Amino acid sequence: MNLHAVTEWLSAVCPWLVLVLCLQRAVGWRGWTLRGWGLLLWPGAIALGVLLLPIKGIVIARWVAGISANVSIPFAGMLAVAVWERAFRRRVFSLRDWDAGWSFGAISGLALYPLALGVGSVDPYEWGWRFSPLFVVMGALTGWLIWKQSWFGCLLLLAVIAFHLRLLESSNYWDYLLDPIYSLVSFIAVGRRLAAHVRGGVWLPRGAP
Amino acid sequence: MMRPATRGVLILLTVALNGWSWLEGGAPTPGFVTPARIPSTGAAPLFHDEFINPDSPHQVSHVASISELPDGSLVTTWYAGSREGARDVAIYMSTRAPADARWSPPRAIVTPESAARDLNRAIKKVGNAVIFADSGRLWLIYVTVSIGGWSGSSLNLTISTDEGLTWTPSQRLTLSPFFNIAELVKNAPVALSDGGWAVPIYHELAGRFPEVLWLRERMGEIRATKSRMSAGWFGYQPALTPLTANRALALLRDDGVGKAVSVARTEDAGHTWSPPQPLDLPNPDSGLDAISLTDRRLLLAFNDSAKGRENLRLAMSADEGRTWARVATLAEEPGADFSYPFLMQTRNGDVHIVYTWKRKAIKHIVFNAAWLDARRTDTTQ
Repeated sequence: MNLHAVTEWLSAVCPWLVLVLCLQRAVGWRGWTLRGWGLLLWPGAIALGVLLLPIKGIVIARWVAGISANVSIPFAGMLAVAVWERAFRRRVFSLRDWDAGWSFGAISGLALYPLALGVGSVDPYEWGWRFSPLFVVMGALTGWLIWKQSWFGCLLLLAVIAFHLRLLESSNYWDYLLDPIYSLVSFIAVGRRLAAHVRGGVWLPRGAP
Repeated sequence: MMRPATRGVLILLTVALNGWSWLEGGAPTPGFVTPARIPSTGAAPLFHDEFINPDSPHQVSHVASISELPDGSLVTTWYAGSREGARDVAIYMSTRAPADARWSPPRAIVTPESAARDLNRAIKKVGNAVIFADSGRLWLIYVTVSIGGWSGSSLNLTISTDEGLTWTPSQRLTLSPFFNIAELVKNAPVALSDGGWAVPIYHELAGRFPEVLWLRERMGEIRATKSRMSAGWFGYQPALTPLTANRALALLRDDGVGKAVSVARTEDAGHTWSPPQPLDLPNPDSGLDAISLTDRRLLLAFNDSAKGRENLRLAMSADEGRTWARVATLAEEPGADFSYPFLMQTRNGDVHIVYTWKRKAIKHIVFNAAWLDARRTDTTQ
């Protein structure tokens, strides 16, 4: 399997994980007693089958890639953790890890997208192609999170590894760290968390058992 | 829980990987390649016009580009179909060898189906394309859309080593963090001293602004990066015109209220640009093109109106774009549409322009400096 094929398969990871998560939730709603590997493999196989269905000669996974070909590594990792936690009813990410993930998605999205889409004369997206303050900030943040024993820090480390291996279609570091869907979900998660905080309650992320 | 030793190793790995790009260092900044100065030879005025696709079966032909092959042959591309943005639109190519009297029959080189096959994803339509040549290859950058209108555009690259007979599988260029959309191309690139290209491109989503796409080959791989030319919301479709290795200007189409051609300047080979300033030339929100001629004058092709595309004129500047003088009218007809000019000067000094003629066909005009000079003396400045 060459790198091009790896890149194409990786673009399907997030859609697959989202589908698996949806199927796992559907299993829960139906009241079926599927757990453990069963709750991982059955939804995983069905999701794979759906994504491999061809429409007009192109499999659904590649239709999705036509809209979003670069899946960020942290988001893919968080989805994988959510799928694993739901299947095995075991916590992998602490609440603090989830908070770190959603906060990173929201804050970096706020820093990147408005400027990259034309607000102001600075385009931070350019920083992802060569050594820049982005690498310094990400190195410091990742190191600090790992020192604090955050598993989300390990996802950021995986992102920079994937960047050097050029595992995505993009050669820009930003695309390994962030994607618009991750950022949008992060805004919603942070908003819900803040709203719960204001109301005095505690909201647990969906992936948490 | 991670053990302290594990954490230490992971932190070292983090520092090493994030610092690796610093160790790689940046390549020296390449300059623009400017056309070699060719003195006037006292040749007789030359002017010739023709249609490239006079018998086009398509309702619409639009967005032409032209380049010169090493043997002096000309190659043009444009898109054609039932209407702009239709699913049957394809990118066509035609060539003409120096000895040929006519252009070759148009041949589709990119269709939505071929692009979908190459890129392995759904492609709804194809659009603007620009062709250019180096010593042995033809490069084609073209727009595809998977979803939505032109704001959903992405850029793709394909290369031919046999003068356009066959093309490499297209490569998607990732140039935007937002679903990699809203990037388009219209005008010709400028060669760089390191063998790369500076391609003027533009962003078109919430606002419109000009950018430079940098193409460089590194260990057999083509790397694409981009930088912003200017902020703002109204100046786009830049025409990049080098003056020296480090200095260039970009003339911009305007979709704002000013309705004027604007100009941005760089002094550092395109890395930073001055804020665009309006020129005393109107622009009805239509495409334009400009080139540096071999005698160092600048030539601009534009719609000389703030309202429509009923004429296509040439203007020249002898002072690096500060003042312009209209020199010729290439087309003019009330209610007609003459648009999207694309200029090129060949190695023999002839200037070629291709443009959209009434949206039905692509017109090609060739003239020389003597013809321009003769026109200039005829024209009130």
